[in-house]
Amino acid sequence: MGLEVKNIVAGYTREVPILNGVNLTAQDGRVTVILGPNGAGKSTLLKTIYGYLTPQEGEVLHDGKRIQDLKPNQMLGEGIAYLLQGHSVFPRMTVEENLELGGWIMRGDQKRMQTALDFVYARFPRLREKRSFLAGILSGGEQRMLEIARLTMTGPRTILLDEPSVGLMPSLVDEVYEEISKLKDERYTILMVDQNVRKSMSIADYVYALALGENRYEGPREEMEKKLDDIVREWI
Amino acid sequence: MTAIPARARDANPWRSTPVRVLKVLFLIGLLIFIPPLIDNPYITRIFISAVMLGVMAAIFDLMIGYAGLINFGYAGFLAVGAYTSALGTFHFQVSPWAGLLTGGLATALIGLATGVISLRLRGLYVALLTFFVGESIRFALSNSPEFTRGMLGLSVRPLPELLGFDFSRGNILAYYYLLLLLGGAIMLLLTWLVRSRFGLAFEAIREDQLATQSLGLNTTKYKLYNFTIASFLAGVMGAFYASYLGILSPSPEEFGVYRTVEILTITYVGGRGTLWGSIFAAFLLIGLQEYFRGLGPWRLVIYGSLLIFVMLFARRGLAGFKKYLW
Amino acid sequence: MDFSLLLDPYILTEVLVQGFVRGAMYALMAAGLSLIFGIMGVKNFGHGELFMLGAYAMFFVTVVLGWPWPVGIAVAAVALFIFGMLLERTLIDTLRRKAGRDWVLDAFILTIGILVVLQNLALILFGTSRRGVTSLIDGVLVWGPVIVSYERLMILGVASLVGLSLWAFIRFSSLGKAIRAASQNPEAAQTLGIDIRLIYTVTFGIGAALAGLAGGLLISIYPAHPTVGFEPVIKSLACVILGGLGNVPGAILAALLLGVIEAYSAFFMSAGWQNVITAGLVVLILIVRPSGLFSSSKVERA
Repeated sequence: MGLEVKNIVAGYTREVPILNGVNLTAQDGRVTVILGPNGAGKSTLLKTIYGYLTPQEGEVLHDGKRIQDLKPNQMLGEGIAYLLQGHSVFPRMTVEENLELGGWIMRGDQKRMQTALDFVYARFPRLREKRSFLAGILSGGEQRMLEIARLTMTGPRTILLDEPSVGLMPSLVDEVYEEISKLKDERYTILMVDQNVRKSMSIADYVYALALGENRYEGPREEMEKKLDDIVREWI
Repeated sequence: MTAIPARARDANPWRSTPVRVLKVLFLIGLLIFIPPLIDNPYITRIFISAVMLGVMAAIFDLMIGYAGLINFGYAGFLAVGAYTSALGTFHFQVSPWAGLLTGGLATALIGLATGVISLRLRGLYVALLTFFVGESIRFALSNSPEFTRGMLGLSVRPLPELLGFDFSRGNILAYYYLLLLLGGAIMLLLTWLVRSRFGLAFEAIREDQLATQSLGLNTTKYKLYNFTIASFLAGVMGAFYASYLGILSPSPEEFGVYRTVEILTITYVGGRGTLWGSIFAAFLLIGLQEYFRGLGPWRLVIYGSLLIFVMLFARRGLAGFKKYLW
Repeated sequence: MDFSLLLDPYILTEVLVQGFVRGAMYALMAAGLSLIFGIMGVKNFGHGELFMLGAYAMFFVTVVLGWPWPVGIAVAAVALFIFGMLLERTLIDTLRRKAGRDWVLDAFILTIGILVVLQNLALILFGTSRRGVTSLIDGVLVWGPVIVSYERLMILGVASLVGLSLWAFIRFSSLGKAIRAASQNPEAAQTLGIDIRLIYTVTFGIGAALAGLAGGLLISIYPAHPTVGFEPVIKSLACVILGGLGNVPGAILAALLLGVIEAYSAFFMSAGWQNVITAGLVVLILIVRPSGLFSSSKVERA
């Protein structure tokens, strides 16, 4: 099942659609990577899937359910989490408060919240150590960990990642991809937009390349790795 | 996303179609001939109010509509012009005719000073700063009764005879024609200004200060120009207002936030960044106000509702309906 | 001017208490204004009209119905909470979807329209006469040379209680945390399932409730009339600027400071010049320190 995008046309204004009929499937428990040059519509695609933009045409299905009429704040309830591009921690709140907000949709259930917190802390011991620190004073890498940890609080089935390693120091980039491959091992369905072609290919199961808001190439990783040089050459 | 599209620059007003020229001449004809033909002081006063507030609103538009600078202490600036002229006559026997100029210059000075201190600020901060500047002016006027007579009211002498025209208070048609000349000159100046290279620079300030600076345009300079020129013209209008009205008091209705809101509403209803829209909106709003005079405060309710309506549903103001009306 | 008067304990307490009562009113208003600005980017110029409506609600409950004053204050707060949410959902929310990047200035202009409508509707419905009560509670506290009326103590007590509750709500409740999250990163808050529109509506409601409560609480000092909100909104606007736009504790601190400064300066000069001083102070702060008196970080000059 997973996440299916069917023939999506969308953009910020009606006159100038950025996506011109994109088709894509993110298989259950797999890592699907979207590549493409700047302006290909990669981030716009994620925003459309997550309900920030309403598609003019097409369908978005999650586990077979139509979700394109839902608002962004309803998506987590459908089991879809979204890592925004750039920093998205709440800097003037503590690490623990950030995590609690990750569990906002289960705020009535104290027991479930505590279980989720324990689980996250077990997995990210550094966050437990710094639970009462303000998120804004954490290092860039720790902030990214917190963001990823926050995504998993409610136990979503599908995770959208928008440029997870952009803006990080090179030494931290490996750490981030390690975390993502851990998520992969835990059988999350992952749909990732990335400019870091080599790194994202290394954990991908299936790859799409977009150009000018349309599908350009697609295929399993092994197949796409062979074509990679041609694909990247086209962007330049 | 911005709801105010860039103004069409292709239409050159100096090279218009004959039909358009006829329409403009017709409107000018109406302005010139209706008051003397009806010959009713009440109607003439309505025309004076409409033209006066319309021109004041067009000057306001030069700031908000073209450069995105909101002068929320505008009424205080009008007060500087009015009081400079009136006090000059009252204390120093300066001719009220010269008062039109001194009023303008004094206000330009305040405008320049305000411009300088608000250089680093943008948007809402400019609004807040100018608001408190305007209120300071008004409070200072009302707190110096020994000089300005404060809330007791300062009576202003009428304009003396000029070139054989009688400007005694009974002859309001003379004031009306003077206003048409003055207002016409200001409107032409404003129109020329926004179509010159100044206009482009103003618009650049409005659109994006940073980008403009990186293009090498000195936004600071043009911001000051905009503010100072608008303040000068506002001062001239304030001085005219003083001579026409005959009595000044620094009340919130006359020179405070209520007057600013009145003018701002006219600008917004006319359509930001249109200049002439303000004149039409002034006639519409003053007309409505007079029509509903019997309704008391209801007319202000209508005023406020109209402002809300324009903000929510007709964001280009009357200019948005131009194609149906013009 | 006899400065030694200021050292007289009777006069000193009188001035201080008066200053704190004023400051409490400014603080209730400014806290709401600052909260609304910090989270929604709306500078609500119509905030004084919410104060006015609170005062009328108080008058209606305590004088017309003859119910006890705590009920009046509660009704003023609750009524304005609901009214504020309605106002947000019908008008401000509509503008948000149309204004785009002109939002901050346009929202300010919209609230001016709201001010004009509410003020004149009040004029139509209630007329110009002042409707108040001489006092909600009688009696004075005498403690040595210090004499303070119970009424003023009550005002200070209620205001402090409300301030503390607001702080606790924002700090500890899950809705309060969501409000803070929305102010720090609205887009991220949305991805966590927080309904940002609801947050905006509730925030505006809270701000309105604080204004309504202030109007009700101070009815013995500021009797209800259509333009009663003008001074409170101007002064609290000043406090919000002095405290730094969107900085709620800063605004409250500035409010108390301004109240005391005004009460003291009332000893030296007429009330009119107090306003010049307040306005001048604001202009000065905007020139030299636009981020406010109490902020350590530089604010973006948007």
